Amino acid sequence: MAASEHIVGRGIGNKLILLSVILVAVIWMLPIAWTLLLSFKPNSELMISTASAFHPPYTLKNYTDIFQSSGVFRWLWNSAVVSIGVTAGILILSSLAGYGFARAEFKGRDIIFVLVLLGLAVPEQAVIIARHQIFSDLKMHNTYPAIILPGLSSAFGVFLMTQYFKAIPKDIDEAAMLDNASRFKIFWKVLLPLTVPAQATLGIFSFLGAWNDYLWPLISATKPEMFTITVGMASTQTNFAQSEGLGFLMAQAIFAGLPVFIVYLFFQKYIVRAVAGAAIN
Amino acid sequence: MQVSSIELDSVSKRFGSVEVISELSLTIHSGEFIAFLGPSGCGKSTLLRMIAGLETVNGGEIRIGGERVDHLPPGARGVAMVFQHYALYPHMTVFDNLAFGLKNIGTPHDEIARRIEEAARILEIGHLLQRKPGQLSGGQRQRVAIGRALVKDPKAYLFDEPLSNLDAALRVRTRVELARLHQQTRATTIFVTHDQVEAMTLASRIVVMNARKVEQVGTPMDIYGRPATEFVARFVGSPAMNFLPVTIRDRAGLATAVLGDGSTIDTDVPLDILPTGGDLRVGIRAEAIHVRPDGAVPGKVEVVERLGDRTHLHIRLTDGNTLVAEDKGVSQVQPGDTVPLAVEGATAHLFDDAGLAYHARQ
Repeated sequence: MAASEHIVGRGIGNKLILLSVILVAVIWMLPIAWTLLLSFKPNSELMISTASAFHPPYTLKNYTDIFQSSGVFRWLWNSAVVSIGVTAGILILSSLAGYGFARAEFKGRDIIFVLVLLGLAVPEQAVIIARHQIFSDLKMHNTYPAIILPGLSSAFGVFLMTQYFKAIPKDIDEAAMLDNASRFKIFWKVLLPLTVPAQATLGIFSFLGAWNDYLWPLISATKPEMFTITVGMASTQTNFAQSEGLGFLMAQAIFAGLPVFIVYLFFQKYIVRAVAGAAIN
Repeated sequence: MQVSSIELDSVSKRFGSVEVISELSLTIHSGEFIAFLGPSGCGKSTLLRMIAGLETVNGGEIRIGGERVDHLPPGARGVAMVFQHYALYPHMTVFDNLAFGLKNIGTPHDEIARRIEEAARILEIGHLLQRKPGQLSGGQRQRVAIGRALVKDPKAYLFDEPLSNLDAALRVRTRVELARLHQQTRATTIFVTHDQVEAMTLASRIVVMNARKVEQVGTPMDIYGRPATEFVARFVGSPAMNFLPVTIRDRAGLATAVLGDGSTIDTDVPLDILPTGGDLRVGIRAEAIHVRPDGAVPGKVEVVERLGDRTHLHIRLTDGNTLVAEDKGVSQVQPGDTVPLAVEGATAHLFDDAGLAYHARQ
């Protein structure tokens, strides 16, 4: 009897959780659905009332207007180069740094590690003027390295990889040492493959972060041909865009989000695992 | 098959200001199976790791096959190690785990395949070669770990508590397989364990360690029958040796131990080797104490442990001391019974204040 009550109780609990999850999902989905709906409406109709979104006519003109905007494919390409560059750089540097902090023994290691972690507490806005000045002095603005390089200093990445390397038993390194493997071979062939789950997590977060970044590309890229998609889309917004070109604005938002959506579709398993892992840990 | 001796010459090891191994010297003969036995933290694993090259040596020399190796990296010492937690490479197949070390030294592919096939045959892991460690049971992983050592044809095998992660039945089976493997290979083997049964059954010699120093080096029967110190006597043997405070009486040059209740045990320990001052304790193993009608030592049974072939009786003597006696077969003795105990004095040992043992002459 007690057992069946327990099971019934758990069933009700599950239903409550499910309802809460659906509610939260709807709250998240509504603005996106609204954006999508508005993006298919002629701007002229939306100027009269946004309620017209619930009935035809619908149009693809807002999307064709995006394609007619001369820079959009260039901006997509720029975003791809920057995001892939940042992601690859973070993965390489964070893995090397994480291995160093987790395995190498050197003076001041712990202090340096704390200094790196302090980087987590420094907001980008606090350093952006100094950063702008440095890249300006180096005459690097409006180049890929200028947009990519600042993104490579990922305190989170170093922390994540350090913790992951630390969690791998040292026996594995020692077995490889007895197997005549060099230090680099131990890192490359033995330990690095074991960090693939952490690399996936870090890679996804880094890619999404770089793709969605707006502030630094806005400052560093002043020439339209160096805009990333976020900066480029924003640049096409005219005055009174929200009243006169609302449908176009919404189409831009959807278009800019599409690549991220595609990444999510392909890496959904890893993203869910990464977020769940972050929650559990 | 390479077979090499291992010599430790006054080796020392410090962790910061703490000296964990102090000027230890030991020779392990070619083909010998030696066990480092001791409780956790006694330094046995550290010593093994020093031989493997996984710990630096702060003093002294280590020689393998006559060649000084203490300055060489682990891979250059020609030894293979089996770790307590197996330390297999999780992302590689069993085949690749076995091949990794051989590839690193440039062994030709066909030779790698031949050696792996041979090891797989000996260890019966041929059907596991394409699996990854995560798909194996604990026992299978242990075999793969041994296989990884075997394929290297090392000068010596180093085992760091390799059975402690296995369940009781598998531990016994693997123990027998290790003994069989050593009989086949006759390779120099060092086996670190805290389990006295493993050490006693596998090793031709045992190094008993305690508190970072060697207590005794000897054959299993030496260690069991003539323990050098009270620690060895307590650590080796189950149940542990009984210790009772005694005074000594002369019996034609041999020591008669007088217990607190006045009863006596005639030992064969010569009186002239005993220290003149200080307290002494007599040490007697449970199998040398029997319940017999003509027994001279009376005691009250508190707990009866029936093991099938024998029974252990936990007995309180009239002076308040306790001991464990052994009754053969199914004992009729019940808790609460008062029983007469006969002690085989010839197998008794005496121990002084410092824990040093005194035995009958051989």
